[in-house]
Amino acid sequence: MNVNTMAKPFAGVTTFTQSCGLGTAPVPLEPYRSAAFFERERTQVFERAWLVAGRVEEIPNYGDYITVNLLPGNVPAIINRGKDGTVRAFYNTCSHRGSQVLDAGAGNAKRIVCPYHAWTYAADGDVVSIPDEPSFFNVDKKACGLSRMSVDVWEGWIFVNLQKQPEVGLQEFLGTFADRLAGVPYVAADRPIVLQADLDANWKVVQDAFIESYHIPAIHKKTIAETFSSDENKFARLLDARVFGPHRTVSMYGNPAMSIDPAHKVTMLAYASGDTGSLISAGTSAQMDAFLRHDAVNPTGSDCWSMDVNNIFPNTQIDFGPGGFWVHQFWPLTENTSRYEVKFYVPEPLTARQRLQQEMYVARVIEVVLEDLANVARTQRGIDSGGNDFMQIQDSEVGIRHSMDQLLKWVDAPSVTEALR
Amino acid sequence: MSGARLPEGFGDLERYCDTWGLHTTRERHAVRCGSTMEEIRDFYDAMTDRAAEACDLIDSYALDSLPPQVNNLMALVLGLAQAHVAVEIHGQPRAPGTPWPNSLKIVRGLPMLG
Repeated sequence: MNVNTMAKPFAGVTTFTQSCGLGTAPVPLEPYRSAAFFERERTQVFERAWLVAGRVEEIPNYGDYITVNLLPGNVPAIINRGKDGTVRAFYNTCSHRGSQVLDAGAGNAKRIVCPYHAWTYAADGDVVSIPDEPSFFNVDKKACGLSRMSVDVWEGWIFVNLQKQPEVGLQEFLGTFADRLAGVPYVAADRPIVLQADLDANWKVVQDAFIESYHIPAIHKKTIAETFSSDENKFARLLDARVFGPHRTVSMYGNPAMSIDPAHKVTMLAYASGDTGSLISAGTSAQMDAFLRHDAVNPTGSDCWSMDVNNIFPNTQIDFGPGGFWVHQFWPLTENTSRYEVKFYVPEPLTARQRLQQEMYVARVIEVVLEDLANVARTQRGIDSGGNDFMQIQDSEVGIRHSMDQLLKWVDAPSVTEALR
Repeated sequence: MSGARLPEGFGDLERYCDTWGLHTTRERHAVRCGSTMEEIRDFYDAMTDRAAEACDLIDSYALDSLPPQVNNLMALVLGLAQAHVAVEIHGQPRAPGTPWPNSLKIVRGLPMLG
C-alpha cells in the first residue's frame, strides 16, 4: 500500500503518478478518435473484461428481471433471479427463431414467454413449453434453454462477461481491489435515481472528466467549485491515489469551510433543521457512520475530504462521498460518441424538507452533469481536429494516465491473464 | 372549497400548479429551463414566502400517502428546487454554456413526485 503523508498539505506538489508506478510522458490522443482503436477496445476490452451490469437490490425476488444492452456490441441481456434465489444472466434471444424474449425494461417474469410464438421458459432459462411441439423434428428441449451469459456477484454488484468461458473469474479480475472494498455498506442501494445521456464524445473523454478534480474550479465555478477547492488548495489537488491492477482509487479534497448564504431562502429552508453538512445523506446516522468508518471511504482520514473515485476497469466508477455512494458508467457507442449513465441513491424521506433537500440535490447534480456534458463535446471536437497527437497530464490527473496505461495493455494483450499481469 | 387544487389557505398559489407544480422532476426542470429570470423570480418569491408553512402542513400527513391537494402543494415545494438552481446558484435560468434542450434523460426519478 502506498501511503502519502504530507506534513503541510498542498504546500508543494503531489507525487501520486510516481507512487502509482506510472510514467510521466505525454499521453496519446489517437485512442480517443481512432475507429481502429475503438474496434480493438470492443473485442479486447469490452468482450473480455467483467462488466458491471446492475445491483442485486434491483432484482430482490424470484422472477424479478432487468434487461441491459451491453455496448459497444449492442448485446441485449437479461439478468434475473431464479426460484432458487440464484442470479443468472441470459442472452435476450429465443432458441426458436431468435426474437428477443423480453422487451427493454424491468419487471417480474416467473415464466418468460417469447412474444413471437409463445415459446415459454422458466426463470432458470429451461424451456418449459413449445406450442405445437409434435410438429417439430425431435427437438431436444434440454438443449433449447435460453443461452446463458457468464455472470457473478461481488458485494451486491452483478457482473457479466461476454466470453463464453471467461478466461479469469471475477475474483481474479478484481484482485486486491476486492479486498479493499470488501464490506462497504451500500446505503439505500434499492432506491436509485437514474440519469442517462448520449454524448458526442469518446467514452474515455467522458470518463476522464469524472476522475480528476483539476477541472472543477474552472468548469463548475458556481455549482460545486466551493466544495472541492479553497484558498489553501486552489487547484483541488488530490488527497490520495492508489492503483490495484487495472482498477484504482482517487481521493479528492473538500472544502470544510463551505457555508450557507442566509439570503438563499430555499437552501436555508431545506437545511436549517438538518444535521448534515453535505448536500445530502443517504441514510440514518448509524448507517452512514458504518459507511464513513470503512477504511476505503476517505482513506486518508482527512478533515478536508469531498469524495473518493473508485474505478472498476474498464467503464464503471463507484464514488463515495460524505452522504453515501453513487455510480457512473461510460459505454462506447462509436469512436466519438458514448452513452453516459449515472445512478444516485437516496433514502426514503420522512419530512417535506427532507424531500425538498433530495430534490435540490438531484437538481444540482443535473446542472453539474450538464456542465460536464457541454465540456466533453467541446473536448472531442478539439481532439478530432488533429492539431495535437498527445495530451499533457499532471499529477492530479493520474487517474487518466492509469486508465490509458491499462487500456493500451489490454488491447495488445493476447490473453486476459497477460493483461492483468 | 370543492374543486380546489391546493389545501385551504394556499389558493393564491394555484396559478403555479400547471408549471412549477407539475408532478415529475423532468417537467419542473423543463419549466425552469424554458422560463425567463423574471418568471422564475416571481415563483421563487411567492413560494418561499409560504414554503415553511406548506412544509409544516405537509408534515401533518404521512409523506407516502398525501391527499391530492396536499400532494399538489408538495409538488410546488419541489418546484423550489428548480427555482433555487436559477436564483441561488447560476443567477440565470440555466448553467452558462449548457445546451437546452439537451440529451440528458431522467430515466428513473425519485419514487414520489420525481
